[in-house]
Amino acid sequence: MGITRRFFSHWQNWLGLFIVMAFIFTALLAPLLSPLDADTKDEAVLSFLKVPKPPAPGAPLGTLPDQTSVYAALIWGTRDALKFGIGVTTIIFLVGTLIGTLAAFLGGMSNSLLMWTTDMFLAFPVIAGVVFFNQLNNSMLFKIVSNSEFAGFPLDYLAKYGYLKDFLPLLSPFMKLNPAAVTFALFLWVPYARVMNASVMRLRHVEYVLAAKISGVKGFRVISRHLIPNAIAPVLVMAAKDVGALVVLQTTFAFIGLGKSTPWADALLSGRDWIYSPNGIVTYWWVFLPITVALILFGIGWNLLGDGLIEAMNPRSGEN
Amino acid sequence: MPILRRLAFSILRSVITLIFITAVLYASLMITPPETRASLYMPKKTSPRMTDEMYQKLLQQMVEKYKLNAPFPVQYFSWAGHLLRANWGYSPNLQEDVFTGLMRRAPATLELTFYAILVYFPLGLLSGVLSGSKKKSVFDRLFRATAFVATSLTPMILAIIMMVVFYITLRWFAPGRLGTAFEPMIGAEQFRAYTGFFTIDGLLNGNPQLSLDALRHLAMPALTLAFAQWAILGRITRATIIEENQKEYIIAGRALGLRERTLAWRYALGNSAAPVLTHTMLTAASLMTNIFVVEIIFNYPGLSTVGVKSLAFIPDAPSAMGFAIYSTILVLVITTMLDLLKAVVDPRLRESF
Repeated sequence: MGITRRFFSHWQNWLGLFIVMAFIFTALLAPLLSPLDADTKDEAVLSFLKVPKPPAPGAPLGTLPDQTSVYAALIWGTRDALKFGIGVTTIIFLVGTLIGTLAAFLGGMSNSLLMWTTDMFLAFPVIAGVVFFNQLNNSMLFKIVSNSEFAGFPLDYLAKYGYLKDFLPLLSPFMKLNPAAVTFALFLWVPYARVMNASVMRLRHVEYVLAAKISGVKGFRVISRHLIPNAIAPVLVMAAKDVGALVVLQTTFAFIGLGKSTPWADALLSGRDWIYSPNGIVTYWWVFLPITVALILFGIGWNLLGDGLIEAMNPRSGEN
Repeated sequence: MPILRRLAFSILRSVITLIFITAVLYASLMITPPETRASLYMPKKTSPRMTDEMYQKLLQQMVEKYKLNAPFPVQYFSWAGHLLRANWGYSPNLQEDVFTGLMRRAPATLELTFYAILVYFPLGLLSGVLSGSKKKSVFDRLFRATAFVATSLTPMILAIIMMVVFYITLRWFAPGRLGTAFEPMIGAEQFRAYTGFFTIDGLLNGNPQLSLDALRHLAMPALTLAFAQWAILGRITRATIIEENQKEYIIAGRALGLRERTLAWRYALGNSAAPVLTHTMLTAASLMTNIFVVEIIFNYPGLSTVGVKSLAFIPDAPSAMGFAIYSTILVLVITTMLDLLKAVVDPRLRESF
């Protein structure tokens, strides 16, 4: 095959793989690396003056204004980032690939119709979806915390008739969902479906698929044995890049107050006002530098990995 | 004429897409009880003295009046009728009619988008063609490295750097849309908003200082947006140019002794225009998302304000819905315009349709 050899012949791919592995190991070993979790406040240094403390033995990378450790946020945030990135990417990868393949295999009118519907999802900006699902969440939460006069989930009616305890368990998993994750899962599978559809359509008339069909191989087996393995390379590359991109996008949304917060976004947000100080930008470097670098590296690592996979799987594009 | 037919087809497709997306959005609201949907029809002013009981009664009246327990299609079409009559509901957080609020803020977003496109479109094409036609040259390597950095630095991180350098340290640019000294000028009676773009309105009203100030505030968000989009456009252009360069007509041209510059700019770029524009069309929604993100980070009072404020305090379905629908419409308008541009630029499409 030579895929592995081609992959490891570029230093960029080594770098990408190294960064990604470093993040994965950090996430796995988080309890060992940082016994404090991201929310623990350093009570000893808690004071009225909320000033970020410089690196000290208790907090190797200093503390944020609210006296939580930057190091802990960095380490534990890796877990959240990987969980989110890999989880959401897996969902959109599976959904998109399946829909794209199915449409291509049905062919003809059904293919056009299915892909046309798919394309419609492309006109919807993700940020509007995050706002919308956040809104649905909020109106439900609002009704629970305050007996407000505004519309939401009619929990007080349920409470009045004694149904509340039956409904809360049903409701809580919905409220635990991250609006960003829901939106990404609902809208970002489209590119996968498109790319998968295009490659399967192209492969449908390649000789070995025709040969398999003629020799009596059943439809499902043609898909699973011949079409998917050969068409999977481009979508696999997209998935590798998306793990990084989705986490970066989610952190951006959390930073501007949309969707669920993460340790990284929290740290960036609370350190924002301390980036500049009268003595120069570098005075409180620890409030923003470690997390920013981690976020950039997270994006770069998966991006390099994706680029490396393109080159390794498709030797002709290697020159580009 | 073929172009007109293409335009008509494009508009038809946009309308169907809009119907589909609004239907999906309304279907998501169907999960919630009818009271949430009743808030879409709430009258502008509910009396501040209204008690909880009276409010619930009003909600029940709304549910009755607009048949909010009816099956989905009935409800959807009646709501869509209200949408068409510019009746998008009243937002308790914005304290105004959602549609008016959106229309009032649209020029700000359009102005930002306009200047960002003005910067990144020519630069993206230029660097894409230059690096694509001279693969592995110094420029190509430099471009690839910069574009890689640009796509890895999210708007958020770029914005933080910009703020520290240009606002806090150098004091060249500022966040927001206008300085406090200039705010009253906009509200003044003799000021006439011809376009809604402060940079142009300032000049038309004979107040170049205002234009300059507006430009000073536009610079950071526009440049941040342009930097991210420039990298994306440049990479796509580069890839397409490289693909075109392997085709026979380029080789034939080279054999005939055409200059490399002519080959790249006239022939390769001309034929790359359609794929590049197609890609831009497909990613129009993510451009929209980037615009809103940049707006929010730089505190620029565009359309994103409606989305952000809808989450402020009170559950506010009308403005969240309005924000989603309005931004979808904007994406569809951009897509239609690009589709038309594609037909104008590419002779093959012009004739085949």
